[in-house]
Amino acid sequence: MTALRNHNCNYISNVKINFKFDGKSYFAYEGDTIASALLRNNIRLVGRSFKYHRPRGIYTCGIEEPNALVQIISEHNEPNTRATIKRVYDGMVITSQNRWPSLSYDFGAINNILSPIFSAGFYYKTFMGPKGFWKNIYEPLIRRSAGLGKPPKNFRSKSIHQNHNTDILIIGAGLSGLIAARKFVNTKYKVLMIEQDSFLGGILKNSNKVDTINGLNSSEWLEETEKLLSKAQNIKILRNTLVTTYNFTNHFVALEDKFAGKKIDLNKSELTLHKIRTSNTILCNGHIERFISFRNNDLPGVMLASSFEKYIHRYGVVPEERPVIFTNNSSSMSLLNSMLSLGCKPEAYVDSRKNEEIETDIKKILKENNIPSYFEAEIEGCDGNKKIEKITIRKGKIFIKIKSSMLCVSGGYNPDIHLFTQSKGLLKWDKNIASFKPDTPFQKTLTLGSVSGNYNFNKLCDEINEKLSFLNTAKLDFEIKLNVSNKYSIKELWETKSKINSNWSKSFIDLHNDVTIKDLKQAISEGFDRIEHLKRYTTNSMGTDQGKISSINSLAVVSKLLKKEISEVGTTTYRPPYAPLSFAAIAGRSTYEFYDPQRKTSIHSWHLKNNAVFEDVGQWKRPWYFKTHDKETMHQAVQRESKMLRENSGILDGSTLGKIEIKGRDALEFMNLMYTNAFTKMKPMTSRYAMMLGEDGMIKDDGIICKLSDQHFIATTTSSGAPKVLAHMEEYLQTEWPHLQVYLNSITEQFSTFNISGPKTREIMRKVFPNIDFSNEAFPFMSFKNFDYKDTKIRIMRASFTGELGYEIYISPKYGLELWEEMFSCGREFNLIPYGTETMHLLRAEKGYIVIGQETDGTVTPIDLNYNWMIGKNKKDFIGKRSLSRPDTSREDRKQLVGLSPINKTDTIEEGQHIVELNELPKKIKNPIKYLGHVSSGYYSPNLNHSIGLAMIRGGKNLLGKKFFVTVSGKTKNIPVEVVNPVFVDPENKRLIS
Amino acid sequence: MIIIKCPYCGERDQSEFSNGGEAHVVRPNNPESLSDKDWGEYVFFRNNPKGIFYERWVHSHGCKKWFNAVRNTSTDEILKIYKLKEKRPEITEFKNCLKSPSGEPKVGSGNFTVKK
Ligand SMILES: [Zn+2]
Repeated sequence: MTALRNHNCNYISNVKINFKFDGKSYFAYEGDTIASALLRNNIRLVGRSFKYHRPRGIYTCGIEEPNALVQIISEHNEPNTRATIKRVYDGMVITSQNRWPSLSYDFGAINNILSPIFSAGFYYKTFMGPKGFWKNIYEPLIRRSAGLGKPPKNFRSKSIHQNHNTDILIIGAGLSGLIAARKFVNTKYKVLMIEQDSFLGGILKNSNKVDTINGLNSSEWLEETEKLLSKAQNIKILRNTLVTTYNFTNHFVALEDKFAGKKIDLNKSELTLHKIRTSNTILCNGHIERFISFRNNDLPGVMLASSFEKYIHRYGVVPEERPVIFTNNSSSMSLLNSMLSLGCKPEAYVDSRKNEEIETDIKKILKENNIPSYFEAEIEGCDGNKKIEKITIRKGKIFIKIKSSMLCVSGGYNPDIHLFTQSKGLLKWDKNIASFKPDTPFQKTLTLGSVSGNYNFNKLCDEINEKLSFLNTAKLDFEIKLNVSNKYSIKELWETKSKINSNWSKSFIDLHNDVTIKDLKQAISEGFDRIEHLKRYTTNSMGTDQGKISSINSLAVVSKLLKKEISEVGTTTYRPPYAPLSFAAIAGRSTYEFYDPQRKTSIHSWHLKNNAVFEDVGQWKRPWYFKTHDKETMHQAVQRESKMLRENSGILDGSTLGKIEIKGRDALEFMNLMYTNAFTKMKPMTSRYAMMLGEDGMIKDDGIICKLSDQHFIATTTSSGAPKVLAHMEEYLQTEWPHLQVYLNSITEQFSTFNISGPKTREIMRKVFPNIDFSNEAFPFMSFKNFDYKDTKIRIMRASFTGELGYEIYISPKYGLELWEEMFSCGREFNLIPYGTETMHLLRAEKGYIVIGQETDGTVTPIDLNYNWMIGKNKKDFIGKRSLSRPDTSREDRKQLVGLSPINKTDTIEEGQHIVELNELPKKIKNPIKYLGHVSSGYYSPNLNHSIGLAMIRGGKNLLGKKFFVTVSGKTKNIPVEVVNPVFVDPENKRLIS
Repeated sequence: MIIIKCPYCGERDQSEFSNGGEAHVVRPNNPESLSDKDWGEYVFFRNNPKGIFYERWVHSHGCKKWFNAVRNTSTDEILKIYKLKEKRPEITEFKNCLKSPSGEPKVGSGNFTVKK
């Protein structure tokens, strides 16, 4: 009944450590996994199942574990950790999952009794109505009762990424991986070997199947090999690293746990995500044992036979002195040997094979040790309360009941084909091993050892030499002597039948997701006879273990039900990752402040000092508004800034605006093609507001184009549009018009740009630049000039986005802050204020200027905006021109830009609201409501003292003076508005050109 | 993540590149002379075959040069890369390439099947 210690195991240390599980303290030895430590303390019940909350124990000894998932409280609450691979350290705090209020008394277990309603497809069939119930009642309820651990809290990962380029990648450092690696010692090949465990050796440490290799006992050979490999300069080994993903062109993702068996140091990166490129891949990732379905095959105490053996050899713990062994293959001989050598005798041996099919070696051992043996027999089921108490064996028509608390099951070995199929390799059904094995690789992929379906150790060296013969390596010949029979034999057995019918008794095909054989039958009877449909309908093998011990079994069961061959049923697609991959590892350092670069202008420090509140525009930090005192709200600040600017003057840091220099012999022709405007007749040293369209005629970007000469232009773009515009120009230049001699250069960062505007601006400019003539005659609207300023040069352009008299100043960022401060010291007497993007948006809306991405959404043409004057109609061609005359683009009833003014001046027009004909929305909407358009911009104008809106309305151009209604968020009563000219302030441009 | 050999820089990770859709779609010389239908074909319609596909790529996080590639869309294998000025390779050049990773599955899932 209790666990024993195997003192012959050298892999576990004698250092005792302590950990807590569900509040109680237990001991472990250094090197223990959570599972081996729990078994050492005779803990069998470790969790509750996903759907039915059935008691579950430790089923395996590795990555394939479907049951023993725990939550690590001492590691940011890390959920769904496989107890079978996570190593214990001193002070670790662990809890079980998916139980309430406690593991041994779980209220959710009532689901098990209610199981008829949780059968296949229950998510799809149940909870269909009434409306709103799913969101408010069903889903929260299901989320609480079904599911696994809880997500981590306050977790800040320090995971990093690392890249590798290598000639040979060996995955798995078991016997075949090690032999393969030895072939590469001190060769010209760069080799990377990856092992998921903390140690090398695989089968050599998992069992005592291998006696000697070349006369050395297996641990000596392993030591020799490790020395050889670690000395080799061309071989690198990653331990505690799991390959999760095999992509195209031999690209891999592997996850390394840097703190396996140690308490995480919060100042170091806990995980490393390796991204690997290799020329050749050698898969040596072995096999995984599968289970057999029988009645209550999920009870704590049922364990895979080779896992039981692993606990003995790797962790020195014999989980139970007298278990029952149930097998359909020859692999159990090794377990028998291991147990008997420790003086443990199985309670019974049950083999589904016929007497004559069973190896004589096995029969001999059984007889010599007087082990009750049942051939051509099977386990009908087992019973017990939260653990196995009684096991029922059926031989023919006879039932034998045996008292035991553990049952070791082996349904055979499956080559671990997951990575091979991820690489798009082809599989083949092999009758001899009753499993799928790799057949044709799609990439440069080799499989060696048991993953290739070769369970024959004698032939291992030949296989490796032959498969690696295309590479320049020496032939190796190791003589491998075994303690067990070399031949692997198996007889297909997937499920055993039971007569007992109760809601408690279940025969599981997927332990993780609580899918039973009955569910598969039901799904097939409902018509889901394709394996991919069946999988999704039943959620079979869709758990975090991806059905590693059970998916082949389910294919077999389904093929029997459908009366087809397994190879006709096919497998489902194996998708990465092989095992759960933490989001923290995928994100790496790209989190929080490292998520995206932040771009700051040369004036940023001044903005900070002057209480700017920032807005993200692309990667840029732009002042949104400036607070004059702590209690000033955004609305108050923006109203103040907007009013002050139209009365005095304001200055905006416009350095983020994109700037592209266009130079070359054919610059003029190129600009004429890229933009809607005509640049030919434009005078040098003048500028123009211009639009860039896509080939579909829709507006892509806008900006001011400065023409220095026919061979030299500077284009400004929106702050976030700069890279797109440059890429768009570059594309056409390279692909469509390579004959044009034009060079493009991004110069956004080469200038600090200030936009100063307002009626007092000219006086301020005169004070800052006393030598420059700012009169209307000398410096008209939309002209620009270059000047010397101190020991640098500046460019000043007369332009405005607020509708007021305005200038744009371009200066080297080195002098930016200095000039900015100079402007304020000169501007103080004129009440010059800094303003942010929100005020800019408000003022331009008052003036009816559009913003790309606000009025436009990729479906708006310049004609829709009444910007026909911008279109160079006499130009033969420009990008998008032809599309403007397409029937759909020239429709009269397209959404067009208009202004909206509320009829009741106290009403607020909200951005994003709909424009309708109804003054009130019906309480229940039965028929669609006629939709006329939407409000694209809505602001409260401090200069008009009422709310204003810009809107895109169907056929809007012809609706001036019409009255409609604008919806209000959260209300059914709409507000009445009048369609007006979108230019609310200074429609005659008197201020602009003053 | 595939590897792409930029004809100017050499082999680089796919993440450095952007795809530019079908290649050899030439912008009409005189768009005004085209019917609405023909212009619409040029602007909105592209081929999307399973198998051999001539497409454009740009080394957007590198030299920013555009180039052409022939890719087998069913295997993601890049069969040929050539500069814009180079001649379009004949499709017969690629007749021996794989149809899909493992042939068209009769049963089972989308991208691989099981051989008997
Ligand atoms: Zn390049």
